[in-house]
Amino acid sequence: MDFRLTDEQLARRKEFFEVCSELERQRPEGFCFSSIESRYDTDEGWAYHLRCAKEFASRGWLTLGWPSEHGGQGTIMDRVLLAEARGYYDVPGVDFMGLELLAPTLLAMASEEIKREFLPGIASGDTMWTQMWSEPNAGSDLASLNTSAMRNGDEYILNGQKIWITGAHRAHWAFALVRTDPNAQRKQDGLTMMLFDMKTPGITVNPLLFMDGGHFYTEVFLDDVHVPVRQIVGEENKGWAVTQVTSGFERSNLEAIMAMQRQLDDLVEYCNGTKVKGEPLAKNPLIRNRLAEMASELYAARTLAYRIADTQIKKEMAPFDASAVKVFSGELQTRLACVAADILGPYYQVGGSKWARFNGHYEKWYHQCFRLNISMGTNEIQRNIIAWYGLGLTRMK
Amino acid sequence: MDIAFTEEQEMLRKMSSDFLAAECPKTLVRELEEGEEGYSPEVWKKMAGLGWMGMVIPEEYDGMGMTFQDLTILLEQMGKNILPGPFLATVVEGAIPILEAGSDEQKKEFLPKIANGELIYTMAFLEPRAIYDASGIELKATKKGDDYVLKGTKVFVEMANVADYIICVARTKESSSPEDGITLFIVDSKAPGVRYEVMPTIGMDKLCEVQFDDVAVSKESMLGALDKGWPVVQNILRKGAIAKCAECIGGMQAAVDMTIAYSKERVQYDRPIGAFQALQHIMSDMWIALQTSKYLVYQAAWMESEGMPCEMEAAMAKAYVNETYKWVTEKAVSLHGAIGTSREHDIPLYYRRAKAADTAFGSTDFLREVVASKIGLIS
Repeated sequence: MDFRLTDEQLARRKEFFEVCSELERQRPEGFCFSSIESRYDTDEGWAYHLRCAKEFASRGWLTLGWPSEHGGQGTIMDRVLLAEARGYYDVPGVDFMGLELLAPTLLAMASEEIKREFLPGIASGDTMWTQMWSEPNAGSDLASLNTSAMRNGDEYILNGQKIWITGAHRAHWAFALVRTDPNAQRKQDGLTMMLFDMKTPGITVNPLLFMDGGHFYTEVFLDDVHVPVRQIVGEENKGWAVTQVTSGFERSNLEAIMAMQRQLDDLVEYCNGTKVKGEPLAKNPLIRNRLAEMASELYAARTLAYRIADTQIKKEMAPFDASAVKVFSGELQTRLACVAADILGPYYQVGGSKWARFNGHYEKWYHQCFRLNISMGTNEIQRNIIAWYGLGLTRMK
Repeated sequence: MDIAFTEEQEMLRKMSSDFLAAECPKTLVRELEEGEEGYSPEVWKKMAGLGWMGMVIPEEYDGMGMTFQDLTILLEQMGKNILPGPFLATVVEGAIPILEAGSDEQKKEFLPKIANGELIYTMAFLEPRAIYDASGIELKATKKGDDYVLKGTKVFVEMANVADYIICVARTKESSSPEDGITLFIVDSKAPGVRYEVMPTIGMDKLCEVQFDDVAVSKESMLGALDKGWPVVQNILRKGAIAKCAECIGGMQAAVDMTIAYSKERVQYDRPIGAFQALQHIMSDMWIALQTSKYLVYQAAWMESEGMPCEMEAAMAKAYVNETYKWVTEKAVSLHGAIGTSREHDIPLYYRRAKAADTAFGSTDFLREVVASKIGLIS
């Protein structure tokens, strides 16, 4: 057993942290903890995201761990270490849908032609993607989706509604899961994954405002959208298998875990520097106990995340292994948010103003802290996965 | 980075698991709980034959010269099988401090005998006020000629009822800093003035009250330097915390395994109760708690093994595992239903031990205070 990073990895990590620290300093006002919201919500946020992407691309950091024939350099471990740095400084620039979901899927499942056409745009940070999977009646039960894609010569013609689509109003391209065979016996059959340009006629994107007013979710209507047949990923009607591959990538969650580490570090500094009744908050035994509890849980999450990364690199990861870290670190975010709220007291509720603490980041964060528990397979679904595939319990019909 | 056990370590896991499953059935556990000694001399002898007591003792003292992490692999299996007895006390509270602080004579005299299974050791640390830091040490060692005289009471001393030697943590000097003036003595448990009484604890694990009633100890019995014993104690508390955590994750594993197995057997409403999603999610959470606990403990054990400073990591691990072991066993009892509350069932053995473990080598709140300082909160 060895938890050590090599000298080379430590040097890489240091470089990642330095660059991300510098990028953090360039971030526009109002760009909050929740970089997912901030990057899609405002023009300034989006421009910052693109700028960071170009910076990473120029250093070859968007293709860490890719095969060399597609411009890859470094290792998967390097990608994990960069995720730590991005998380700690809350720096955008990595299109999690394009880079962390689609690219590895393409590398694993797509034809050479598709790889050659679409990977370069992802590697250069020029093409930003959105994932179009969920529908009003197909959330956790994704295979129930019914956006139709009818074959017509060399094209499919798409009709339907997609919902909870992140950043569709900003993205250049989409990868969608649609139904190509409405008569398939099992609902998982007859689905196909396909790629299309967001400028294609027939696409309407409407905002779905988050509870804090932020605009990152959208609903998307597809009305007679023409998609060339060659833009499918994998085989026609075999899209379900592709989604299983997509869901299997990038599961260590170290980005979110290191974002929490930063919050904890900031809270320690705040408690050391804030006096109540003449005494620093840091001396309050209750606060010490609760922050220590959070620090311990965070360390547990981080250690397990390294273990997940390690098994993933060795290609030994079981899907339910990653579910454990997803559930635990996601719910730790909400626990930490509550501890932070208690420490800041009434000021927690204040957004950007002279009364705000931490520029109002925490007010924003209270809205956002459980987002991870819902996205990428809700935590309830993750618990099912653990129960059925990890513990061998009877699967729900 | 390679977060997996080596092939040799996997073999040790397998071998120790098989040995304990065969040699330490739950019938024996119950017998030992009810009995006076609290351990099985026959099993102890076999363990010595396998070299377990000498695992971390260097070969020059008849040990195996293996690592602390290797030791925690054994302890995990012991926790899984609930092996009652003085193993942790003898190795962690006896052999390790002698190895770290003992004179050449002490090492030569005691370590080979510990390795061979001839000597049982324990450490007397806590006093009736039950304070884990140095301010809790009040038992006086008064100089008398060349020797010292111990007077005071220790409590929660593991298996003092069968120990041959007790390392007594005593105060030899009053000082403005409580860490200064603490000295360790190796005390023959048969020495005049040493009296023990088993405390009836939840773990039925023979924690003892030990009275030191003007016990004379020679200066040769001093372990380490006069007045400078606290760092040795700190090392033992840290290693002990990690060792106890290893036992705990073994126990958690057993509780999780037993609960899942039971949920697949027990039929209600015409189906195994494990088919109900309400219970599935609880079991998933138990498994998650086990996973998070395991790797936290493995990391702390690895750091300790490598000689890296890990006071914070050890405190985090114990503070966390204290809570997860209790929670997992509480859920294990719940999911077993009424049978899970029965004295005859195995699950309550784990439930009781989870509570017993959480105060050993530092309670949750005490350790969180250690963590609070280490993460930079000013005090």
